[in-house]
Amino acid sequence: MALSGLGLVIYVIFHMLGNLQVFEGSHALNGYAASLRDMPILLWTARIGLLSLAALHIVLAIQLTFRNRRARPVAYAVREYRQASFASRTMAASGLVLLLFIIFHLLHLTADVIDPFSADRLDAEGHRDVYGKIVHAFQNPFIVALYVAGQLGLGLHLTHAVTSSLQTLGLEHAAFNRLFNAAGPTVALLVVLGNVAIILAVFFGIVRG
Amino acid sequence: MKFTLNIWRQKGPGEKGRFVTYEAGDVSSGMSFLEMLDSVNQGLIAKGEEPVAFEQDCREGICGSCSLVINGIPHGPDRGITTCQLYMRRFPDGAVIRIEPWRARAFPIIKDLVVDRRALDRVMQAGGYISVNTGGAVDGNVLLVSKDQAETAMDAASCIGCGACVAACKNASAMLFVAAKVSHLALLPQGKPERTRRVRAMLEAMDREGFGSCGNHR
Repeated sequence: MALSGLGLVIYVIFHMLGNLQVFEGSHALNGYAASLRDMPILLWTARIGLLSLAALHIVLAIQLTFRNRRARPVAYAVREYRQASFASRTMAASGLVLLLFIIFHLLHLTADVIDPFSADRLDAEGHRDVYGKIVHAFQNPFIVALYVAGQLGLGLHLTHAVTSSLQTLGLEHAAFNRLFNAAGPTVALLVVLGNVAIILAVFFGIVRG
Repeated sequence: MKFTLNIWRQKGPGEKGRFVTYEAGDVSSGMSFLEMLDSVNQGLIAKGEEPVAFEQDCREGICGSCSLVINGIPHGPDRGITTCQLYMRRFPDGAVIRIEPWRARAFPIIKDLVVDRRALDRVMQAGGYISVNTGGAVDGNVLLVSKDQAETAMDAASCIGCGACVAACKNASAMLFVAAKVSHLALLPQGKPERTRRVRAMLEAMDREGFGSCGNHR
């Protein structure tokens, strides 16, 4: 759970950083996208690796959730949590939200199934116009709402995920515990802020075609 | 003081249980929670009804026998105490109080509010001990243990094995219990040599007993 999750977290961070190039204009972002596509072996290794990590993460999560359900066959009539955070108690739910969002996101911006409008457009330099695709997508308020909701799910999941993974790996030391405890919320905040900044910058016309 | 109690009643292991409402009148604010239940039981016995079964022994917060989930919190609303140390003045007069047993597959209900916690004993038997003979009591400073180390070990040793951690955990995991026992022994020179074997054995035993897994909730 921890290792597959951390692998996915590292991807999510780089995905956010790569996409921030939208603020440098179409040349930067489309060039970046083209450079990824110029390395098909690397691209497909990364894609297959990511899919396997995600599949492993999901299978383990389902196994663990069912095992934990079995551990308490009769539920409490009244329940009050004193310490466990909302994020930690809703990992299965936020994970499911995230899965649905990722499927939508892949169909939308990777496979161009949901909105084929700008699928094969090229920019002035002959690169696939990823920039134009993003600018087109996030002018639609429904798409913006969906993506922002997806990001909130991601933030909630990461808040607990990163810190919890470090604990599972046994990274626990009095001198570093403050750092480890802050890791989850910090990564969650930065990733969500970065991604939401892209979406809202397009929506409010700061980034335009 | 007066209270309305919703208490889990279950005739025996594997039977279907249900909540039954009882009125507790004439309760003094200085009564402990268990004394309040004693007085309710006296009333039931006087009426010829079956008293509510609950576990208790020392009534001074040491033995870890008392085990009630009160309004959704194991050992009730105060921190760092057991049910026997909870006093009725903690509740507003006329309060409705829900009383349930520890709920976990590894802790099957024996009757009413009494659960079988031998699963924790079996986890201890798997490795929660030191297998060398340490002989008689040695002189004071023969084995030097630093103050910090001793304090941390003592903190871990303050786990009385009541099972509230299992009751409180969303996954009914015994991780806090096992962690306390493992740390307590591993921090001291007598327990150190066997620490890795102990951890593996106790974790395997915990899994065998059907406890859930730790979700690192914080």
